[in-house]
Amino acid sequence: MSAVPPPRERRHDVIVVGAGMAGSLIARHLGDQGWRVLVLEAGTDTLSTWEGHQEAVDTFHAALYKVPNAPYRPNAAAPSPGVADLEGLPTGGYRAHGYLLQRGPLPYSSDYLRANGGTGLHWMGLTPRMHPDDFAVRTTYGYGRDWPLGYDDLEPHYRAAEQQLGVAADAEEQREAVGLPFPEGYTYPMEAVPRSHLDHLLAGRLDGTALREEPGAPAVPLRVVTTPHARNSTPDPRYDDGHGYRPAGAVGPNAYGERCVGNASCVPICPAQAKYTPLKTQAVWGPHVTLVARAVVSRVLVTGDGRVTGVEYQRYEDPAGPVHTTHTAEADVVVLAAHAVENAKLLLHSRLAGSSDQVGRNLMDHPTLLTWALLDRPTGPFRGPGSTSGLEGFRTGPARSVRAPFRVEIANWGWAWPAGSPAGDVAELLGIPADTTAPRPGPLFGPALRQALTGRLERQFSLQFAVEQDAESRNRVTLDPRHRDRLGIPRPVLTYDLSDHVKRGLAAARNVSRELFRLLGAEDHTAYAPGPLAPGHFRFDGADLVFQGAGHGAGTHVMGDSPGTSVVDPWQRCWDHPNLYAVGCGSMPSVGTSNPSLTMAALTLRSCEQIHRDLMDLHRPVTLRPHPVDKAPAASRRPGGRP
Amino acid sequence: MTTAPTPARPAEPPFRVPRDRADLHRFLQAALTLEHLTIPPYLTAMYTLRPGTNRTAFQVIRGVVVEEMLHMTLVANVLNAVGGEPKVAHSRFVTPYPARLPYSRDHITVALRHFGPDALRTFLLVERPAGIARPPGHPSVASDTGWTSVGQFYRTIATGLAELTDRLGEHALFTGDPARQVGPSDFYNSGGEVFPVTGLDSALTALRVITEQGEGADHAVYDSDDRVFGEHRRPGHYFRFNEILQQRRYGPYDTPATGPNGPPLDVSWEDAHPIDPAGTLADYPPDSEVREAADRFDETYARLLCTLETAYTGEPVVLRDSVPAMLELRDLAEWICRNPHPDPARRALGLHAAPTYEITDAHFARAWSTLLS
Repeated sequence: MSAVPPPRERRHDVIVVGAGMAGSLIARHLGDQGWRVLVLEAGTDTLSTWEGHQEAVDTFHAALYKVPNAPYRPNAAAPSPGVADLEGLPTGGYRAHGYLLQRGPLPYSSDYLRANGGTGLHWMGLTPRMHPDDFAVRTTYGYGRDWPLGYDDLEPHYRAAEQQLGVAADAEEQREAVGLPFPEGYTYPMEAVPRSHLDHLLAGRLDGTALREEPGAPAVPLRVVTTPHARNSTPDPRYDDGHGYRPAGAVGPNAYGERCVGNASCVPICPAQAKYTPLKTQAVWGPHVTLVARAVVSRVLVTGDGRVTGVEYQRYEDPAGPVHTTHTAEADVVVLAAHAVENAKLLLHSRLAGSSDQVGRNLMDHPTLLTWALLDRPTGPFRGPGSTSGLEGFRTGPARSVRAPFRVEIANWGWAWPAGSPAGDVAELLGIPADTTAPRPGPLFGPALRQALTGRLERQFSLQFAVEQDAESRNRVTLDPRHRDRLGIPRPVLTYDLSDHVKRGLAAARNVSRELFRLLGAEDHTAYAPGPLAPGHFRFDGADLVFQGAGHGAGTHVMGDSPGTSVVDPWQRCWDHPNLYAVGCGSMPSVGTSNPSLTMAALTLRSCEQIHRDLMDLHRPVTLRPHPVDKAPAASRRPGGRP
Repeated sequence: MTTAPTPARPAEPPFRVPRDRADLHRFLQAALTLEHLTIPPYLTAMYTLRPGTNRTAFQVIRGVVVEEMLHMTLVANVLNAVGGEPKVAHSRFVTPYPARLPYSRDHITVALRHFGPDALRTFLLVERPAGIARPPGHPSVASDTGWTSVGQFYRTIATGLAELTDRLGEHALFTGDPARQVGPSDFYNSGGEVFPVTGLDSALTALRVITEQGEGADHAVYDSDDRVFGEHRRPGHYFRFNEILQQRRYGPYDTPATGPNGPPLDVSWEDAHPIDPAGTLADYPPDSEVREAADRFDETYARLLCTLETAYTGEPVVLRDSVPAMLELRDLAEWICRNPHPDPARRALGLHAAPTYEITDAHFARAWSTLLS
């Protein structure tokens, strides 16, 4: 990896826009094949050194509001949306501040991060595969959009992604409990991350029982299932035909980077670097990959015949200063890997890939319902990864025709997400209630405070229902030239809502939660009402509900089998531009109920093969003399194909 | 150095090449004790730092400590491979401090000191790359010199392993149960990784890692992790400590003779809690919170050693349980070191409390009962 390229090396084989998970994987693979790759990253590059990482950990520890972007400095030149940008109004509705402009009935409540490493710096690191049923929801259940690919097409790439990310999971359990097909004898690179105390408690009371989400509905068998993680646990010596797996350590040459020790801050930063981040992939980039940070791509450049020639980018030295300079870079292939919203923004601003009118549409997330309760005994909260197990029985089945399916994450961090615990409890007991207009009770200090805190915190647990959102063309990213960022680039305008299918899914999740808490003998403290901390509040069927964003933006350059109805082909190549790829969750036609990064990585690795073939085709000299006997079709003569 | 009388040297094996299996076991058990000897002084330097300050220095010492733990585990693997029984969970395993560095011609006192130039100078003496003398019996070595360096001691073990392999045959010497070997699944990414020892080659590689990580390879500044483990090459322990003391990094072309001439390294010596290097548990009033915490520290340390012994004697997978114990030790140590010394005279000198590593059989008994319950 070298620094800024000198001008005469302006021309590259591939330009990758965005150094997040997808971009870092592409750069690694194409670089390893000898292609000269230029990676342009809009944000700063402060975490790829040991000192930068430590500084971010300190910033997080000192942050008063520990949102996912808390460890990472705000950057006026490449702003990121934050989850605190949204404010709920006292009687319902919301107001949006910050980078994203919002015009929908409901807010798009997720953030992302523009920095080297991308949102993969603050992700939770959960890596479940999508269920085979998730790829044909339109055909099978009558909602959303189908994929032009199936699980079987993606399966080998899932394995490749699990190798790249270093996934810890139990294949046998995933096969039995989720219904995922694996090749015979497959093991994940590492053994499953150990279950939390809470997981064991819940499994003891739920495993083997069943639940009806409403009277008369079919009974769903319950089983607590370990979740796959991109997090270092114990390498499985059986992996790779007995060759085993060597976990990736920390960024920087320090003797560090161990197994997960339960620091309980995966989001927003793993102090021990046990969690995969794209910086670990960047650490093994070869010499053909050049990273330029603080380079905001403003447009993709295109010729009359639809081929792209490169990109225009704005370079800034000082994120806080007003100065930037304009540059261009040229390449045979351009890959947009800048996040679903940013990819759409770039395509719209460049007026590219628009023949289907689908660019920016089909914006999806996993609208998430939080429920919280107290168990009758200590749950061991605030330890370990945010979630180590879940309930997988609501992810698919005939009910999907009626309501959106969901995955239930068992949350190990008490009421951290729903109620800001433990900081919120401390503040309250100190006499500083969250509602500043409420009367201030007398504060507690010292042993009395500690005792009161233990009483409140030790039995906390919560459930996170990640509901599948169907692709709807009305949910979209647009641009409004009146609203630009400091570099003059239009800011994304989001129009977002939930379909009734999703709302029924959220309502069903609420019912399932009630039943689960009843089976567990837990004291349900869940309550939904409008207010400043509930921008995702809405009423449905006479009940109040509040949803959260999961940070899983998808669908904005949707993949399909026809140029008339989709933006990218099954290789994530723009139908309108043969050498422009748009990769990432933006290509996904449906998101199922799985955290999407692993699927994104699998799709990305699959695309690497096609990008390599495209580049080979471009470089092969014309055939000087027809071969007299070879009648084989052109495709079979293509060399390569190995990642 | 301390003004106290020179402490006694811990028991050393006789000055000769190990003659038989039992002798080899004795040498390797002594190596295990030796690798542990430096860990409490290093931990003391780390945990007397005010948390969050001197990050680089903290990481340097931490990196060396985890390598010492790697060395202990590698020695345990060698000992297991030749049919021995690593013993780390007993009160004699933890040397009383201040201790005298064994296997050394010089009188080097190793005390529990707070982070500062004195502590670092001791560390430099401990990790000093010496012109390594040949093993006893070699024509160049007089029969009555005694041990002259740690490197000589390890070289002697290597010679013994090779000679016994010649005499008995590799299969006859390496009779240990392979299931007792701690492998890379149990210990990784902490400055090299543990590998199973199954024969002479892997045993000699283990000994090479132990000596070269400490003293640098081939009389150079950098260690051999790049060659053995495919990791980044780093200065050996001695040179990393010297970087802190000199407050300057080694550059890529520096040699041991030139000293560090790279970029400056910021150290704030005042950001450490000063402690009494001769302190004992008895200095803390009975029933005081500091006393109670220091006693809990010793019991937790005993529990760590019990866990290690379990891992080294047939259940390698238990090694992972040492991590929570180590985190507990860190928290306890930082907690204790924040306290001004309970004794008014020492408090007046600005001294703070610190763990004293007086691990007794009572601590071990309590630790075993905790682990077994």
